[in-house]
Amino acid sequence: MSIIEDRPGKRVLLMGNEAIARGAIEAGIQLGAGYPGTPSSEIIENLAEAAKELDFYVEWSTNEIVAFEIAAGAAIVGGRALFACKSAGLNVVMDFLMTLPYTGVRGGLVIVVADDPGAWYSSNEQDSRLAGFSSEIPVFDPPDQQSAKDMTRDAFDLSEKLELPVMVRSCTRLSHSSGDVVLGKIRHEKNTLAFDKHWKTPYRWNVYGPPGPVAKHQWQKNKMHIIKEYSENTHFNHYFPAKGSSRVGIITSGMASNYTLEALKRLGKRNDVHFIILGMPYPAPPIKVAKLLSKCDSVLCIEEGEPLIERQVHQIANENQFDIKVFGKFSGNFIPVVDELNPDKVLNAIADYLGMEVPAVDKSRQQLKNDLSKMVCARSSSWCAGCPHLGSFWALKKALPPGKVNIINTGIGCYEMSGYGIAASPIDAQDTKESKLWRALTPYEMTDTLYIMGSETALSQGQYHVGYNDGKIVSILGDSSFFHTNLAPIVNAVYNKAEQLILVLDNFWTCMTGHQPNPATGITAMGEERIVTSIEGICKAFGVTFVRCADPYDLKGTKEIIKEALEHKGGPAVVVMRRLCALQRLRELRKVRAKPPLYKVNEKCVGCKQCLYLGCPAIGFDLSKKNANGKRGIAFIDPLQCVGCGLCAQDEVCKFDAHDKIGEGIF
Amino acid sequence: MTKMLVKDIHELNLIVTGVGGQGSVMASHIVADAAVAQGLKVRVGETFGAAQRGGKVHSHIRIGEDIYGPLCPEESLDILVGLEPNETLRLAVKYTSPDTFIITNTRPVSSMDANIGADKYPDVKEIVKGLRKLSKRVIAFDATKLAIQAGNERTMNVVLLGALASIGRLPYEADSLLKAVMERVPPRTVEANMEAFNLGLERCKEILHKSYILNL
Repeated sequence: MSIIEDRPGKRVLLMGNEAIARGAIEAGIQLGAGYPGTPSSEIIENLAEAAKELDFYVEWSTNEIVAFEIAAGAAIVGGRALFACKSAGLNVVMDFLMTLPYTGVRGGLVIVVADDPGAWYSSNEQDSRLAGFSSEIPVFDPPDQQSAKDMTRDAFDLSEKLELPVMVRSCTRLSHSSGDVVLGKIRHEKNTLAFDKHWKTPYRWNVYGPPGPVAKHQWQKNKMHIIKEYSENTHFNHYFPAKGSSRVGIITSGMASNYTLEALKRLGKRNDVHFIILGMPYPAPPIKVAKLLSKCDSVLCIEEGEPLIERQVHQIANENQFDIKVFGKFSGNFIPVVDELNPDKVLNAIADYLGMEVPAVDKSRQQLKNDLSKMVCARSSSWCAGCPHLGSFWALKKALPPGKVNIINTGIGCYEMSGYGIAASPIDAQDTKESKLWRALTPYEMTDTLYIMGSETALSQGQYHVGYNDGKIVSILGDSSFFHTNLAPIVNAVYNKAEQLILVLDNFWTCMTGHQPNPATGITAMGEERIVTSIEGICKAFGVTFVRCADPYDLKGTKEIIKEALEHKGGPAVVVMRRLCALQRLRELRKVRAKPPLYKVNEKCVGCKQCLYLGCPAIGFDLSKKNANGKRGIAFIDPLQCVGCGLCAQDEVCKFDAHDKIGEGIF
Repeated sequence: MTKMLVKDIHELNLIVTGVGGQGSVMASHIVADAAVAQGLKVRVGETFGAAQRGGKVHSHIRIGEDIYGPLCPEESLDILVGLEPNETLRLAVKYTSPDTFIITNTRPVSSMDANIGADKYPDVKEIVKGLRKLSKRVIAFDATKLAIQAGNERTMNVVLLGALASIGRLPYEADSLLKAVMERVPPRTVEANMEAFNLGLERCKEILHKSYILNL
């Protein structure tokens, strides 16, 4: 494992998240905590793997704010700590992030946030640098893996120098891309731990303690000139002056600086534009930026996310009374204001800004490409073959009362795919004219509301209490979500008697982010065994009077339990749908060299497609063969994908007994 | 083993595409590992969707002194490696130029959309025909069959790496790529992977040789 190799100077290929973890290791990290979220999860995963050998502590916490407070606790007593989350996760910690800088920290505290411009894996494309701006702490925005490692390492030193938390903002393209990195030295000595009461400031670690929060806010404000001095002098912020008499400038940061360099190269303008790459976009270095502005008539700000640099450039131009045009996302129309940037978008933006033409693709070739792209078959996301969620949603579909406008509120996890729809069959807005007529064919079209973790059980309560009565109200969450932000809403639902069906899809792991453990798993991030926290036990203790457990591989039984739960009055009914994630089950079987059985479609198939609507990716439809009714089209099961869960063979799916089990044993 | 043809490298753009679970991310890392071992500058950009499996996956690999971010611009590819024909076409219409070398598996993996009848999975012959219209150099064969022949169907990605090694476009020798394969794959699959690599390499050489004779 190269991230723990103590071989300074060695060049290795590291993923952005591995590079960040390596940076923390080189800085002598003492504690790491986080909650999984794509594209950030590999930071804590990699630290957890290194922790035992290098003697530090790492955990997956139940949610982001718990993780952040754990990291802050370690830093208050002088330890070096790292907290990692995804963009949406930072919203969960905002309460503490806005307050902690008033007291600051003693040991280095580094907050790593992996943003997701383009919302590849997220419900929004927020720019977390703005949280750094709001809480007045410095923000690094690394453009590549090498600087991701170096900035993370240096962020610990800077944090201790300032006595403030420091943010490293990554993004999907950095976290989930790999590059060559030259390793640095690992710091093996650890910070000495101590708790200093009234250290430097009276009641230092207590914002309410005298002289009160305002005085402590002033203490933090006084740090800004040291931060700006750092930003001015750090080699991460670099000014490349133009050769000759150019009057145009570009200021960029993070991943966008790569696209800028590439575009300037392709346009042959590398030496004809003044440009600054900001590895620390907040606060931007005022003197360095002013130096560029003084040489230009206009400047283009290219940044991933919101106009944070552009805002500061306006301010610096104003302070210096420069008469200069500032373009970016506020003005100029060169840069698209939403979605992820890429080399082509930035090339077009810079060419447009410089008044140049980008050579277009030959017309006949473009026509050919357009024609061929129509041939490409859509590939919607699906659950894995044998996923227990297939059974859970099928049973729910069968149990819900027909002819009603039932509302399904879902949270974040693999089960959110129940709201992804089918890419090739987009829904016409007309379809919603009569909600009652809308029928979900597959489980992928079932979820109605989908926002963030924890919203599902609370949205349902609002719908109930306001008197919604056209159908049943259902909340769907997973085991990890249950602990993350659903405990308080469930207590609230019981106390305020909100009638709803809560389905907890417990597959023992936090699966969508790559199988991290949580209190339902029985293992910790560092591989220690633990007693599983009982979801049913918690619900009963909260006062839920209907708590049942169902097996999603038993469609009929599960359907009956859900039907019963839907009739429950006087408060929420909880049904825990419990089955191990199919991928984890396959891993278990592989370990003991056991072969799961398979299912095969027999000659009784009438081509009704019910098993296809189940949504299992292992089931296909062969139009070249005749079915039992003598018509074209018969279902088939891909033996390479089938895991033998047997869902498709159950009466609830196939009424024609057309699926045979091949082989022994059970999945 | 094939000799290296490209030595001084400024910018080599390559995409490996497939369906989640086929091993395209691993294949792209192997290509990059071998480049790092030669001391070359490398970037690998992974695009996997929200789901772990079954979704569209493509990895961008960039090697050379003049590369910056991990994403290949449109029409910029030197090589496109496709583990699944429909996905090869999806990427080809965006990233290939007439000079792009396309290597694709012809074994289809159906999609949910096609399964439920919302879309139609194209005829693989038509896909290959389309690819040939997009590029002068297309190598298409059933890599899954060769992987099964090698003793492990999951080595299909390595069959295609063998094919990739044979076209003489990489900045290192085929042996270097094979060495990188051996270092990445699980120890108990080493033999099957070695066999898979060689089967892919030989098949690709054969195809190249045939097309050379046809063009005489």
